[in-house]
Amino acid sequence: MKVRHLVWLRRIIQTFFLCLFLFLLVESRLSQDIYVDYSIAFSTDDDIRLDQPVTFFFKLDPLIGLTSLLSGHRLIPGFLWGFGVLLITLFFGRVFCGFICPFGTIHHVVGAVRPALKGDRMIRANQKTPEQKIKYFFLVFLLIGAIVGLNLSGLMDPITLLFRSMALAVLPGLGAGLRSIFDAMANSDIKVLNLISYSAEVLLSPVFGYNVQAYQTAWFIGLVFLIIVFLNRIRPRFWCRVLCPLGALMGIFSRTSLLKLKKYPERCTNCNLCIKHCQGAASPHPDQVWEAAECIACFNCHNICPEEALAFGFTLNPKLNRKPDIGRRAFLGSMLAGLSVPFLGRLDGRVDKVADPRLIRPPGSVPEKDFLKLCQRCGLCMKVCPTNALNPTLGEAGMAGFWTPHLIMTQGYCEYTCTLCGSVCPTGAIANITARDKIERPIKIGSVYVYRGRCLPWSGNTPCIVCEEVCPTSPKAIYLKKETVSGPGGKKLAVQLPFVDLKQCVGCGICENKCPVKGLPAIRTISAGESRSLKNQILLL
Amino acid sequence: MKFDKPITRRESIRRLLRWSGCVTLAGTVQWPSFTVPDVWATTAQKGFIIEGRGQTDGFSVKELTKKVFGAAGGIQRFVSRGDVVAIKPNISWARQPRFAATTNPDVLSAVIELCQEAGASRVRIADNTIHDARRCFALTGAGKVAKETGADLVYPRSSLMKKMKLRGNRLDVWPVFIPFVEADKVINLPVAKHHSLSTLTLGMKNWIGGVGGSRWSLHQDIHQSIVDLAQFFKPEVTLIDAIRIITQNGPSGGSTDDVTFKNTLILSNDPVAADARASMLFGLKPESIGFIHLAQKSGLGTYDFSKLENEKVIV
Repeated sequence: MKVRHLVWLRRIIQTFFLCLFLFLLVESRLSQDIYVDYSIAFSTDDDIRLDQPVTFFFKLDPLIGLTSLLSGHRLIPGFLWGFGVLLITLFFGRVFCGFICPFGTIHHVVGAVRPALKGDRMIRANQKTPEQKIKYFFLVFLLIGAIVGLNLSGLMDPITLLFRSMALAVLPGLGAGLRSIFDAMANSDIKVLNLISYSAEVLLSPVFGYNVQAYQTAWFIGLVFLIIVFLNRIRPRFWCRVLCPLGALMGIFSRTSLLKLKKYPERCTNCNLCIKHCQGAASPHPDQVWEAAECIACFNCHNICPEEALAFGFTLNPKLNRKPDIGRRAFLGSMLAGLSVPFLGRLDGRVDKVADPRLIRPPGSVPEKDFLKLCQRCGLCMKVCPTNALNPTLGEAGMAGFWTPHLIMTQGYCEYTCTLCGSVCPTGAIANITARDKIERPIKIGSVYVYRGRCLPWSGNTPCIVCEEVCPTSPKAIYLKKETVSGPGGKKLAVQLPFVDLKQCVGCGICENKCPVKGLPAIRTISAGESRSLKNQILLL
Repeated sequence: MKFDKPITRRESIRRLLRWSGCVTLAGTVQWPSFTVPDVWATTAQKGFIIEGRGQTDGFSVKELTKKVFGAAGGIQRFVSRGDVVAIKPNISWARQPRFAATTNPDVLSAVIELCQEAGASRVRIADNTIHDARRCFALTGAGKVAKETGADLVYPRSSLMKKMKLRGNRLDVWPVFIPFVEADKVINLPVAKHHSLSTLTLGMKNWIGGVGGSRWSLHQDIHQSIVDLAQFFKPEVTLIDAIRIITQNGPSGGSTDDVTFKNTLILSNDPVAADARASMLFGLKPESIGFIHLAQKSGLGTYDFSKLENEKVIV
């Protein structure tokens, strides 16, 4: 095979994996068409599940598998995929970065379609710099942190970061924009516009859903994503070279790679084209020593060299490649940082002292301490949640739990027989429970209380029984008592007053969601009473 | 427009603004939207009420449904060739059919088949559900029925909720789920259930699932709201599914202990009579239920069965 073909092969594979990633991203939702298997309507034991293997890229990512193993002491399902990727890296170098990683492909495209720098400036930007150590710093920091008990790798892992940004910021942003246009068109009284809007909506809603999705802190997630993409203007693949901890992990493993860049300095005419097209700043020039740990095996230098002074090839020479440039001081510093961050994260006492009442974790979540060891903050559970109740946290889970999932009941609620979030969680931070478990055990996520001052019947305003009506348990956790209350002006008003039976209540929050008292509903959900905690209980169990 | 030469940044911004301005203007153009004709119910045509009961073990619900319509003179009496028919089942809850919180899928599929035999050009199943619509369609079996019969499932999208003048006593302007307004013929297909505020959930109350907006505040004057909605939505015919009914813990149920078998279907072109007859299945007097009483008073129908053609079908 000629190298020209190899480069094209790389582009095709990159496109394939990027498309696969986007496809799985879009498929990470409850399907809207009617071709789902409806046999579940007539059997008790089947739960609604997604058709596509939406966690594929998370399995493929060795950093997720490794940190889950180190901190949660758990082999995630499908960890062999990630193990395989590491094995490939041992023999072929960072081919994952060059061929598979969808985030890398996005940077590659952004950098290649409209290069920010020209001529000499590009050559200078593509020289290896000491800043490239930073990614090792992050890697060591995340790994040590994971061992000591706080798994922050999801904040920086490229697959997780890309998924979170796309699922929680980019797609909902596009969807909300399109929907506002459709709604405006549908509301106008011009028949043609109505028809166009309906048909466009039918075409687009399989991607964006049939209602608007919104996520707390999504603006920040989107901003981080934009900044990372914008960094390509400073230097191509800035993220991959300087920041990516997965790239650092691969860099360390590529030390034994057999796929090496052979150099023939005698043929070199010093045209610097190899440097100009280098994606990894891996010193491809024949006068420099090739940096195996930085090379993402894009084959650009081999392809572009007019004098054939560079060639990739397999060598069965047992000699190790050049050591990744980590730096002892940086290594020690990152170890210290990694050691201290789990303790820093627990200073606010969220884990050990008192849980935030608003921190309502999805059904099937493991206890909080383990949750922080396993949750990758990828946003997959939030993407699939059919009611949009699952949102990234801001401060509810403390610093340690930033962007982990929790339910906001004013935005959605936990549907009684839905167990979709647990079925997709790539690391098992949310256990894969069944609807039968959830109802019969029962798995509680919290409990509710009536805010009598705001409640319509309690405050003597009007009759209302909405919370009782929507309560999904049988017998209902909210029961009513007929009473005559005194309304405005001392008028007698016959109402039914709602009471909560804490034994029955599972904390699903549909009562809070449907309560007609807007803004601050008259019935509220708190995390106390959640099954996963022995401490955070109200009743004597 | 020329595409052969590059345009300046300024020019591109200017063009962009021009186009977005056009789109914005087109979106804001509003003709007076109160074009809905007079929708008050009239009782000019002679009312009928048919009660179908399955008494043999393992009777076919589908067959009973078809026989009940047959006794009324066939579905051709309500649906003509080429009609767009909108069916309003009660599929508000993501519950399996055995919990009786939702319309029986066999009844739904029989009615759709009848409409299709009568030559309806399109049959739509629509409901503004309480639980997530996708899960409701899946678990209640409505999705399966739609797939088997080729009927359309309409999702309660925000763009399908249009503000309309209801001209009710209590409700004036309210967002309405438009498939029911745009259809040529509307069939109401509720399920009979217990309800803690309105006593029962029957045919007329089913129309709360036909509107959007902050429908949870309707409960503050539930009886008048139900009557207002029933007067706005004028179904050709109401078929109440009382094969299984929820007698406690309604309207969502959730346990088979809440369910009683009545094996009954009630078909009527008088919404009040249908609800009244169904309420008797629960052992209640029609006049004791607020919205039925109120509906008769406002002339929407009658629960005096002697004024109607009564018929019974037994399978």
